[in-house]
Amino acid sequence: MSWQIHVLGVRHLSPMGAWQLREFLDRTRPDLVLIEGLDDAGEVLPDVTRSETEPPVAILAYTDALPVRTLVYPFARYSPEYQALVWAHEHGVPAEFCDLPSDVFLGLQEAEIEWLERTRREASEAPPSGDEPPIRVGVPEPRPSLYQRIAEQAGERDYDTYWERHFEHNAAPGSYRGATVELGRALRELEEDAPRWRAENLVREAYMRRRIEQAIGAGYQPDKIAAVVGAFHAPVLTGEFPTMSDAELALLPRRTSKLTLMPYSYFRLSSQSGYGAGNVAPAYFELLWEALNERGIGDLSRRYLSLVARHLREAGTHRSTAEVIDSVRLAETLAALKGGLAPALADLHDAAVTLLGQGELSAVKESLARVDVGTAIGRLPRGVSQTSIQADFDRELARLKLEKYRGAVQQELDLDLRENRRVKSAETAFLDLNRSSFFHRLRVLGVSFAKPGATRQESATWAEKWFLQWTPESEIELVESVLLGETIELATAYKFKSQLDACTSIADAAALVHDACRCDLMHSMELARRRLQELAAVSSEFAALAAAARQLGLVVRYGDVRRFDAEPLVPLLEELFVQAAMSLFASAGCDDEAVPAMLEGIDALNKVGLEFHDRVAEPLWIEQLQKLADSDDRSPPLSGYACAILLERGLIENEALAREVSRRISPGVPADLGAGWFEGLAQRNRYALLARQPLWEQLAGYIASLDDDEFKRALVFLRRAFGPFSAREKRQISENLAECWGLNADAASELIEQPLTEAEEESLKGLNEFDFDL
Amino acid sequence: MAKKVADAAAAAPAAAIKNGEILRAPAEEIYADELQALLEADKHDKPPGWRMSPRAVHTYICGGKAGKREIAPKYIGHARLVEIAIATLVTDRALLLIGEPGTAKSWLSEHLAAAINGDSTKVVQGTAGTTEEQVRYTWNYAMLIAQGPSQQALVKSPIFRAMESGSLARFEEITRCASEVQDAMISLLSEKRLSVPELATEVAARKGFSVIATANTRDRGVNDMSAALKRRFNIVVLPSPRTLELEVDIVRKRVTELAASLSLRAKLPAAEAIEKVVTIFRELRQGQTLDGKNKLKTPSGVLSTAEAISVLANSMALAGSFGSGEVTAEDLAAGLQGSVVKDEDKDRTCWQEYLTNVLKKRGAEWRSLFKACSEQNE
Repeated sequence: MSWQIHVLGVRHLSPMGAWQLREFLDRTRPDLVLIEGLDDAGEVLPDVTRSETEPPVAILAYTDALPVRTLVYPFARYSPEYQALVWAHEHGVPAEFCDLPSDVFLGLQEAEIEWLERTRREASEAPPSGDEPPIRVGVPEPRPSLYQRIAEQAGERDYDTYWERHFEHNAAPGSYRGATVELGRALRELEEDAPRWRAENLVREAYMRRRIEQAIGAGYQPDKIAAVVGAFHAPVLTGEFPTMSDAELALLPRRTSKLTLMPYSYFRLSSQSGYGAGNVAPAYFELLWEALNERGIGDLSRRYLSLVARHLREAGTHRSTAEVIDSVRLAETLAALKGGLAPALADLHDAAVTLLGQGELSAVKESLARVDVGTAIGRLPRGVSQTSIQADFDRELARLKLEKYRGAVQQELDLDLRENRRVKSAETAFLDLNRSSFFHRLRVLGVSFAKPGATRQESATWAEKWFLQWTPESEIELVESVLLGETIELATAYKFKSQLDACTSIADAAALVHDACRCDLMHSMELARRRLQELAAVSSEFAALAAAARQLGLVVRYGDVRRFDAEPLVPLLEELFVQAAMSLFASAGCDDEAVPAMLEGIDALNKVGLEFHDRVAEPLWIEQLQKLADSDDRSPPLSGYACAILLERGLIENEALAREVSRRISPGVPADLGAGWFEGLAQRNRYALLARQPLWEQLAGYIASLDDDEFKRALVFLRRAFGPFSAREKRQISENLAECWGLNADAASELIEQPLTEAEEESLKGLNEFDFDL
Repeated sequence: MAKKVADAAAAAPAAAIKNGEILRAPAEEIYADELQALLEADKHDKPPGWRMSPRAVHTYICGGKAGKREIAPKYIGHARLVEIAIATLVTDRALLLIGEPGTAKSWLSEHLAAAINGDSTKVVQGTAGTTEEQVRYTWNYAMLIAQGPSQQALVKSPIFRAMESGSLARFEEITRCASEVQDAMISLLSEKRLSVPELATEVAARKGFSVIATANTRDRGVNDMSAALKRRFNIVVLPSPRTLELEVDIVRKRVTELAASLSLRAKLPAAEAIEKVVTIFRELRQGQTLDGKNKLKTPSGVLSTAEAISVLANSMALAGSFGSGEVTAEDLAAGLQGSVVKDEDKDRTCWQEYLTNVLKKRGAEWRSLFKACSEQNE
């Protein structure tokens, strides 16, 4: 069939494209507007043009089964596609999308990812990553090098500037259309793109022609059809090229998919790469669009630089109007040097840096980013094409009075989980608690709307800090969660269940118990408790058991604040405590590498013991500690640490300690054992140690008794033992020692403050030669 | 590197220039034929008071072609900054070039003036002793006393003359001047008029008048510029060369030119030698090795590109006058020692640490330089 329709090649997110498009449609007066976009998105198109809808918005397509693949198709106010929809809506003309439907796109995407992973595996045997960022539909972009070369030939530093100068500033009727057709042809002639990329485009174009022929078949005159597509596709949408047959269409891979509209943000538009022009500075292009529709392109540099100066002033840096005027003049001169009609963004930046920043980019960087990118986010009418989980999210936001936090700027929220006794209804009294559960659920689902912040008081169980920020990413994450369940609660419970099934370590299970409690999911917590019990029963690994006991202890203590009955957890806590205590002695026979984890475990279990002394078997714990403290064949730092805990609890007398110290660090005991023990002892309650003069006398005597090599070996451990002491504590120790050696405190400090003599330095250097590993 | 152009040079007899007796001729003399070629090939519009179009000026400075003639680049690297500088002068705003020492501020300012007016010699050389009279005008006192104030008794400053003729004046090292003296520029730049109350008259600047000032960010003993004065300038910050290759390029080019004009009787240093010197300078300047793996102490001195050039020229002079005519590691070491270790003990330790921790480990190629430097530093 031979036919010729009106085609306008555009670049997505091109204000001049949108402006020229409206003029083009006004002139050609089509009966049907075809737009490059997902064919099956027809159902959501009416919502795009509703008056309550505020761009930027995006069409999101996602597969309804795992693995989830998504596809985003964003519009700004100045997208030619969006303006085509608006024009059609205003003139009562039907507008349809004519690119491949989303299920085929997702199928192709899946095939592409599989292919990429296969090549990557074959190339390096590296593990493939499952999380590919969403790939978008849009103008195909050949390798950047080609674009770079085009820009260099035109004497521009990058392609965006080249595009802006040659396409965005020329408002002469028809200029844009002619230029993009030529650009499209030129790009097609350069046969240097990846074959897969080219093949996909050919498939898409065949489909678009198929759709055009269908429209002609439905009775539209070819010269009453207008198509808006990427510049690259524009030259081939004629009847001279083959269309896709039914059989060919059936051969394409498909993934069943769903579609929804979602609000989008300029920030996200600007952070995307590889998607056509104009997205580095979405707010700047909106300014360009406004200027085009009001006073013309010449107005843009004035507006832009005034806005930058305004931001600078708001931030406290005064810049005068005279400087703005001069920067506009500089920008215009820079553009004129390049033969441009108006300053491009690069000229405006340079003018702003030179004048408003007085030569320093850092001075204006933030203001430039604010004016370039902006903080605008789109809005959709309530209830428009939402998934059930999005609807649930909205309901929860309303219920928890969180709607004002739904902004693109990050906000901080401090929660007090305790009952608010000044209000009447239970709902408001526990508002913060419910909010906290909601945020934790989002966290478990991996929806980045709420991020936990560190609270000042680490031990406070009632205070939480959250950072709330709505981003398009979080919306996508939310939509993806719909696969797990219809509401946030159901989805979270499902996520818990799959995590529990995959969980193999005690620590993970205990963390899940804790999480379930914070998410206020009683049923999940019971499941997690059972899983933890199963895992704990067969384990005798002290550090893990102790950590689990500590986690559980936290949950039980939380009980009050979180308003749930922790009683069912207590038996498990008791059980864990006993198991951990019993495994202490056996686990303490470890090497130095395992010591830090063990120390942490002992500390954790000791805390549990103190907190729940009436519930757990504390005497057993003390007994085990005693046993460890007395033993000579366990790891010396752990024995020392056990001793320190007993000392702290007042269970070792002064005399007994003195005896123990002298036994441990007596001549003849290998230096690493003696000093290692001391290292463990010195980890806790330093003040108690500092105050015990006999201890230091023994230490002094011990050091005196060592021969040279032993002394050097002991140095390592002693140095480590005293390393964490503060300067004041070290001073006190040296004073203690000075007393043993019959010096007074003043004389001691004088000695210490003297600079090192050469002989001393020599002997320190000599230590470098010493092999401590012996 | 000889950096300043003495006013005297302009007044020197042309014969001296032709005979090559002048230590350093102004740019418009050295590159006279390039400028001529550009003038002939220039087809674009010329702003009032300019000899050539902005595009031709850009070609003169950043290199390119004038008709068939190849124009050598004078300033390598940041072509966009040159564009901004030229655009500034087109808009009749004054231009202030700021940067670390040795980033070619005066060099660029001289070439801009040479290209735009064919005259780079209207210079005020700022010092701590510069007075307001030197910026505005002063008197021939004998005449002043004999006849009273008159046009003949008036001694005009370079800036005065530039205003009269509608051309560019250069103000070197503006921040070295006391703030009172700097302030003399404020109303001059905003009103573009200079009043001479003694003669009850004022001079209005002709089109084409502008000022290119340069200022240092690093040297001590520099006065701050007032905000009022800063507002009257478009400020362009000249950075150190971005990459090693670029810096090596610049150094090689300048050393070659210097060797010719100073008639140093030595062969040009080998490419590796230049690269080594530039590497050492870059690493010490940035406080880390080029691969970013080692942190280094930075010496107190300014290790600019200009200084690297002078180290190489210096070592060529040594080799030519006292050595075999070939630049050896010892010749380089002597120059390096002088520029890295200024008068402070701290620098000596810095340099020693750098030698032992970095150079020593760089293998055989660097061995001879390391040895020579270590001997020098003892």
